[in-house]
Amino acid sequence: MGVAALARGPGRLATAGRRRVLAGVSVTPAIVYAVFAVLLGLPLLLVLVQAVVPGLFDLTAQSTAPSLAPLARALSSSRVAESVLHSLELAATTCVSATMLGGVFALLAQRCNLPFRRFIAVLPWLVFLTPSYLKALAWVLLMSPGGYLVQLGVLPPDVIRAFFGLPGLVFVQTLNLFPLATFVIGSAMAGLGSEYEDAARMAGARPLRIWLRINGPLLMPAIALSLIAIFAEVLSDFGMASTIARVANFRVLTYDIYAAASQYPVDFPMAGSQALILLLLVLAVVTGDRLLRRRADPRLISGRSKSMRVLDLGKWRWPVAGVMLAVATLALFLPLAAIIVRAFTRTLGGGLAWSNVSDGNLLTALTVGSDANTALLRSLAYACCTAIVACLGALVLAVELDRSRTVLKPLVLGLSLGAVAIPGIVLGFGYILMWNRLPVFRDWPFPHYGAGSLLVTGYVAAALPYCLVIIMGAIGQLAPSLSEAARLHGAGRLERLWRITLPLVLLAVATAFLLTLIRTVFELPISQMLIPQSGPPVPPMVTNLFGHDQDGLGSALSLVSMVIAGGGAGLVWLAFSRFARLSPVMSSGAVPT
Amino acid sequence: MTASLKCTNITKLLGGKTVLDNLSLSVIAGEVVSLLGASGSGKTTLLRIIAGLADPDAGEIVLGGRTVWGASGVVPAERRGVGMVFQDYALWPHMTVAKNLSFGLESRRLPAGEIAARVSHALEVTRLGPYRDRYPSELSGGQQQRVAIARCLAARPALMLFDEPLSNLDAALREDMRVEMMDMVRREGITVVYVTHDQAEAMAVSDRIAVMRSGVIAQLDTPQSIYERPADTFVASFIGGFSLLRGSTDSGFFKPASDAGPKILAIGATRGPGTLVVRPEDARPASAFPGNQLTGQVLSRAFQGRCWRLVVTLGGQQLRLDWPEAAAVGSDLPFSLPPERCLVLADQP
Repeated sequence: MGVAALARGPGRLATAGRRRVLAGVSVTPAIVYAVFAVLLGLPLLLVLVQAVVPGLFDLTAQSTAPSLAPLARALSSSRVAESVLHSLELAATTCVSATMLGGVFALLAQRCNLPFRRFIAVLPWLVFLTPSYLKALAWVLLMSPGGYLVQLGVLPPDVIRAFFGLPGLVFVQTLNLFPLATFVIGSAMAGLGSEYEDAARMAGARPLRIWLRINGPLLMPAIALSLIAIFAEVLSDFGMASTIARVANFRVLTYDIYAAASQYPVDFPMAGSQALILLLLVLAVVTGDRLLRRRADPRLISGRSKSMRVLDLGKWRWPVAGVMLAVATLALFLPLAAIIVRAFTRTLGGGLAWSNVSDGNLLTALTVGSDANTALLRSLAYACCTAIVACLGALVLAVELDRSRTVLKPLVLGLSLGAVAIPGIVLGFGYILMWNRLPVFRDWPFPHYGAGSLLVTGYVAAALPYCLVIIMGAIGQLAPSLSEAARLHGAGRLERLWRITLPLVLLAVATAFLLTLIRTVFELPISQMLIPQSGPPVPPMVTNLFGHDQDGLGSALSLVSMVIAGGGAGLVWLAFSRFARLSPVMSSGAVPT
Repeated sequence: MTASLKCTNITKLLGGKTVLDNLSLSVIAGEVVSLLGASGSGKTTLLRIIAGLADPDAGEIVLGGRTVWGASGVVPAERRGVGMVFQDYALWPHMTVAKNLSFGLESRRLPAGEIAARVSHALEVTRLGPYRDRYPSELSGGQQQRVAIARCLAARPALMLFDEPLSNLDAALREDMRVEMMDMVRREGITVVYVTHDQAEAMAVSDRIAVMRSGVIAQLDTPQSIYERPADTFVASFIGGFSLLRGSTDSGFFKPASDAGPKILAIGATRGPGTLVVRPEDARPASAFPGNQLTGQVLSRAFQGRCWRLVVTLGGQQLRLDWPEAAAVGSDLPFSLPPERCLVLADQP
């Protein structure tokens, strides 16, 4: 090109004042930030404002007067105090038990010569990807007075009674969330390698002393992170809250917010106050996490693999593997089995008798036009739309943030990292306030309150933060010169995104896409808060079916959803992995320069 | 196709700190000019401003007679027609060598025939033909560097910018690649601005060198002129192993500080405090110039093939000298310096 291009120059020269706009530097980020603000910032802001201006969205007596009365009412209410106490009690107990279980799981899976080691290493991922409400419903099937474990005579009635309370919730949540601890502590262990351990051995230390004095202290930041992450996760969880906890009449904050915002009589000020309390609790935990990360040795939580010594468990390797498989059975296989059995039987009380077997539930779920099948198709369509929009949005936003030097960058990054911890139920409540009550948005044609489009918007908002974190991580690995080189070769902004950046972060985009797809099909809190008038998607329909003694159809619907969404995502992943192996870039995963 | 470059009064502030201070630089068509300076001297910032990857706060950049940045307007980087060889080469890892070369030509929507011809020519010039279907990760460091140059050559830029292109190569490969790279560039007659912090590299590749200090050009001249007559002590300290001996001058004589030695004949500054520039290769036996004799104590010695590199101390100041034989460490070493090579630079206020 060279001079030839310059020869075309004068007509193409933009004036200094317009140049940034014409170069597309100012307009796109503004739009991207505005979309981000509408999706996440404004709804959360409204939740906060509603908590201190309780009359703002009152349809009968609107008022902009600030008041702390609802907050005071909430704080002095014994019911709210009970919910807060229950939430904290559950979170505090579960974070300890799940961290212990997950830490031991990580240690055994990574550092010991177990049989089926690869299979055991995959198990936490499978547990993590199975929705919590589904596992909770499965445990209701197993542990309710007429449930399978009682029918089989495995457990005495006393244990069954105790299960529907704090012990049972801790038990199920521990099995639900121990994978988080396995990931966090396992990643730190991988980064730790065995060099410190080798040095300690050379200094004459025995294994127990090495773990107490060397590895233990070095893993402390990861253990603390795991405690914090699980604590925040339990506080925000709605799956258990709306299933086992509700059956056990164990009030927790998330369900109370849902009840105040969605069930008759609707009490927005109360919902707002409780949402504020929940947000403050989560914020305190996230702040703790931030402070800890700042102090933690990044080398130990970087996930960078180092060579490590594998411990030989000798004759104990089989029993230990057996115990781990037993944990996996309780966390995954037993609940799945309960769902499968219930899906293929007429009644729960009929038990495992051959005469009780039926394919009726499954046929209903698969019959086109049935409510269950419509919900399934609706969920799959919503999930596909959400995954596409969230991944594209996150990609554009990640590129913008990566090159941005403005003050908005830390703001958006902070908001999105924080948003990963924002309870879905609070976001859903913010959406109700914004799209049902806020002028301009209330009458907005698309998305519109009560329509599927708003639910998808909510899903996108919930998915955007973690899609952004995943894709941003990949983009951060790219040398800026790759895009600059393309720019100097005449490639415009869109071409650079499409032909340079996207192919290099395709693996991350595919990961974000599939994760979003699966999570959205089983997303409960926002689905529950923003049920479209055209009908519910799968998660609220399943909980509703369980609540109306149609647990067979609920199980069948869950099973079909899991097979289609999980199986489909698995197939896409396998195909993609195959493609990735063929491409030297994908397989090396690194910029070679 | 090659173009001249004129940067006038370029100013750039980053975080309140002046990175480029009213800097001006002219490069004639086909010339190779190096920007030589330490980290933070502003050389890479200037390069990125010329490329269009960063905007100055004030000034004007004219490329091939056209203003590409100035009060009247700006041509974005995509349309400047400037090629750049990045420090990390910035080869797109998901494209083959041939694809890396054709990408920019496709972006400009050139006819397929011309794209194929340009790619073939660039691959031929850089002897990369056999590697055209390889991915960058399948090439050695030297081959990757050749691809980066070939990619620029295929684009036929008006100006080529090199951002420390040899810094990722090991010492053995560096010199070979430097010779090969500049041969290719010279053959194509392209105007080049070359950023480096290695003075030997700058000397070897450049028609002229701009020595940069804190956002300004301390000296812009040919390599020989800079070597023979550095403008000031900063430039002298940056160039090739020169030693600087502080002292004072009076009527054509230089006297080292702290009575470290007798007066010697010198050129340059005539009166007042000054610094003597001592090039290692100028050291001679004491008998060669008896009137210009100094004596130092040998601190260390290192064999360098052609000679021994001695470090001697004179009244607390250290000098590097090339000496034909191994002097004993700790011994006194009388030596002399040719008067016409004894350049004294006036101390800056």
